[in-house]
Amino acid sequence: MLRSSRQLVIDIYYDDSVFAQHVCDALKQLDIARRIRCIPVAEWSAQAQLVRPSLLVVETVESFLLQRLRCPEQLLIVPNELSSKLLMQWEGDSLAWQQCSGTRVIQRIKSVADAFNNSRQLQAVRESLLWHNQRVDREHALVEHIFKNALSRNYLEYPHIRTLLTPAAKFNGDLCLVAPGSTGSLYVLMADFTGHGLAPATGALPLSQAFFAMVDNSVSVAEMVKEFNYRLNQLLPNEMFCACFIMELSANGQRVTYWNGGMPPAIVLGADGEIKQRLKAQHMALGVLDSDAFEAHTTTIQTHSDDRIAMYTDGVIEMLSQNREFLGLEALERYLMRYSGLDEFDLLVKKLAQFRGAQPLQDDLSLAILQCCPTGLGPQEEQDELEVLPFSFTSHLEAEDLKHLDVVATILGVLGRLPPIHHHRTTIYLLLAEVFNNALEHGLLGLDSRIKADPEGFAYYYQLRAERLAQLQSGSITIRVEYARAHHRLRFNVRNSGAAWEWPEFDETADGYSSYGRGIDLLRQLATDIEWHDGGREISFTYYAIPRSKH
Amino acid sequence: MSVSRHISNDGKDLTLSIRGKFDFSMVNDFRRAYSSLGEETQHVYVDLRETEYLDSSALGMLLNMRKAICDHVNAIHIINCRPEVKSILDISRFDKLFVID
Repeated sequence: MLRSSRQLVIDIYYDDSVFAQHVCDALKQLDIARRIRCIPVAEWSAQAQLVRPSLLVVETVESFLLQRLRCPEQLLIVPNELSSKLLMQWEGDSLAWQQCSGTRVIQRIKSVADAFNNSRQLQAVRESLLWHNQRVDREHALVEHIFKNALSRNYLEYPHIRTLLTPAAKFNGDLCLVAPGSTGSLYVLMADFTGHGLAPATGALPLSQAFFAMVDNSVSVAEMVKEFNYRLNQLLPNEMFCACFIMELSANGQRVTYWNGGMPPAIVLGADGEIKQRLKAQHMALGVLDSDAFEAHTTTIQTHSDDRIAMYTDGVIEMLSQNREFLGLEALERYLMRYSGLDEFDLLVKKLAQFRGAQPLQDDLSLAILQCCPTGLGPQEEQDELEVLPFSFTSHLEAEDLKHLDVVATILGVLGRLPPIHHHRTTIYLLLAEVFNNALEHGLLGLDSRIKADPEGFAYYYQLRAERLAQLQSGSITIRVEYARAHHRLRFNVRNSGAAWEWPEFDETADGYSSYGRGIDLLRQLATDIEWHDGGREISFTYYAIPRSKH
Repeated sequence: MSVSRHISNDGKDLTLSIRGKFDFSMVNDFRRAYSSLGEETQHVYVDLRETEYLDSSALGMLLNMRKAICDHVNAIHIINCRPEVKSILDISRFDKLFVID
């Protein structure tokens, strides 16, 4: 015990009394510390952040000593005969000095030193905790920012959906994504990662990124879940996976295609709130199975504009009431049937909140109700804003070229990128393919369309085409394209070196739908100024790539 | 360019997705895709969401499909058409024969 106290360095503040001088000398002789610094009491301050265990040795307690101490672990030593009344007002420890044994003094000083050291350690821990907390807060703010950006495209304001998204902790392990597809359809994804908090929320990043990228291309639900599963299976640790319900509502609101992996059944409600269908999970959650074992089979149901689909995570049915009872699926269904309208959603949320009372959330909780009306989302097409220079080009194709090149697709591959033409590429392809195929099939290969009249002949015709093309020795086709900026006018001219040929009269079958001859009809309707020269060897037509009206 | 088949969980829906160019080069693949319909198939969907180009032979192939299977299924749907594709189908009056959306 004495040894450890020898490591001490202590400060003694003393006044210029004989008493103080006497005590200081006595303390030095007690060999209580490695070093003792004696400092005039004038330098002492109640507010000082003391760096060493300190003693105050004074003959009388002056009023300046009786202040609130910044560092209460100080020992005040006074003469034994001093009134204890004043000492009561001293915040720190005190000792009435007697000429008694040194052991008691040593113990008192040692306990003052211990208290001082403990307090210093506590202070250090407190500061490091504070610093750590600030760091965590800063990092959470960064992560929140990233999440916010990752979900900035989330179309939760879509007018025909209402959502309730309540995380149990700061970060949500549930995910509800809404986005319009490029064909005017609407995609909704509801997902629930294992657990809640930051770790599961992290999984939401790759999932949402993949979702928005694929939605832009109107990728089918089956393709999407395949990709999601592949990504999550690679990313997530074994004990973590992601239950997911994803659906696509067609632009006319009449068809829903869904995939449910490990989520509670989504509920289809009819006009009067009756339950029409429960879209149950048929698959394992995402991130569990390898791509080989994964099943992407979707189901399609017919819907009406009055129908609503309620999707939710298990946090809703496992929500606890004030009396710690589960809500359960049956009760949720009763609530949904009672408040099924989108305009009653706030009421539904209120009822659920009443059920829960002050009970804290055990899990993230998400609920969405979608009305299956026509989406009103126009097909997503970029706007034509860039200008294009007038141009013309000619492509002369010999037999060898014709054998090996996919001519029309190649031309459209170039033309279709030009801004004014981009939105017309499918129509232009159809028209140019028609004229080019006629030149090749009838002019150079001598095929007769009438073979195509029945399904067997249809396939046979294209088999013949392939055979004759492979044997083609001579002959050529020349394609000329001109573009004028006025009215975005495109003029096409296709000439072949083969036999003269005449378009047959459009031979409509009784029902008006012949499996051939349709291309010419389309050409007449979609193109203008169709000209025909040199016995069908040369055909020209004009197409106006008028910009679509802006949505 | 490809045709992919997708049968729904309950086996009632067959979806044929055409990717890229829908033209005569897939005449056999397309025929094969609907040739072995299950008894329970009720709806056939031709999904054109990824169809960028089509030519008049594609229209012929759709009509041939209809001839082959329309007596066995409730309806043939052509779905997820891009606007240009839809207007081509409309001009060809396909809306009378197929459910187009």
